[in-house]
Amino acid sequence: MSTWLTLLAVAAVTFLLRGSFIVFADPHKFPHALRQALQLVPAAVLAAIVAPGLASPEGPVDLSPHNLRLVAGLVALAAAARIRHPLAPIAAGMASLWLLQGSIG
Amino acid sequence: MRSQREEFAAGAREISPMIVGMVPFGLVAGVAATASGLTPAQGIALSVLSFSGIAQLIVCQLLAAKSPGIVVVAAGSIVSLRFAMYSAAVSPHLAHLDRRWRALLAFLMTDQSFAMTTARFSAPGDRSLRHWHTLGASLTLYLAWQAVVIAGVVVGAQVPARWSLDFAVVLTFIALLVPAVRTRADLAAAIVAAATALVAAGLPYRLSLVAASLAGIAAGMAIERSRRRRGRNE
Repeated sequence: MSTWLTLLAVAAVTFLLRGSFIVFADPHKFPHALRQALQLVPAAVLAAIVAPGLASPEGPVDLSPHNLRLVAGLVALAAAARIRHPLAPIAAGMASLWLLQGSIG
Repeated sequence: MRSQREEFAAGAREISPMIVGMVPFGLVAGVAATASGLTPAQGIALSVLSFSGIAQLIVCQLLAAKSPGIVVVAAGSIVSLRFAMYSAAVSPHLAHLDRRWRALLAFLMTDQSFAMTTARFSAPGDRSLRHWHTLGASLTLYLAWQAVVIAGVVVGAQVPARWSLDFAVVLTFIALLVPAVRTRADLAAAIVAAATALVAAGLPYRLSLVAASLAGIAAGMAIERSRRRRGRNE
């Protein structure tokens, strides 16, 4: 498969997945359990993306304080819970990581 | 009730803090396209047509590793499966729109605009013009994303690694995650999904993302069900 064909196929698949229910299905016919499950999607998927980024930045899981990204990420989580502004965790997390890296390396 | 233009402007304004966190992500995605051997035109086409940072990064990683096209497409599909879940979650809000509108909003949907759309539609009041809010947020993010990715493609790998800018990608997802946890069921879903993602990290092609999401959803539904059963007994 040529590179261009691969890229177009990826684009087509991402569009079809995004459009799956919005464009091609009638949500009023969804069963109750499905609707309930869907409400849990954001929390579950986002946590599944965040966890490895904090706990295993270099491959193996590292839950020790030597894992600077885990420490900085916990600071960011606390900041996000306290300050309801989307920039709070980004600023707190980056500042923490830079400080930790500077003080150690 | 806000007018179309006010909804659009509010969407654009409310998504704009997310752009700051997205800048490093977009730069990384642009740099990865160049590093994987794509031509600048191919790197930009991938971004303009698929508009998904995670899918773009996976595709670039696999192309750099000379994976066969079918594997690249399969991996891109797996990391994009969450879009089908998002699609199902927002579709009731958009069901009154014609097909062109729905196709446009579907094409532009991202983790960020999904979170913003569910938040906007759950506010009380008249909902008939709120798709303009989604459009304002999604289109702003789309244009900003493309600008940043193109900058990444052009500058290439000149950002020093010790800045750890890729960490901002994770932080952006934390900014989305925390407001999404509203109930005890949400909290259970998040904790179980996070734990499963770590335990299942060895699965190939980021299947751990799918496994963890499903485990989290199942846990949240179990909490929800036991809560309702207790409520009935009291």
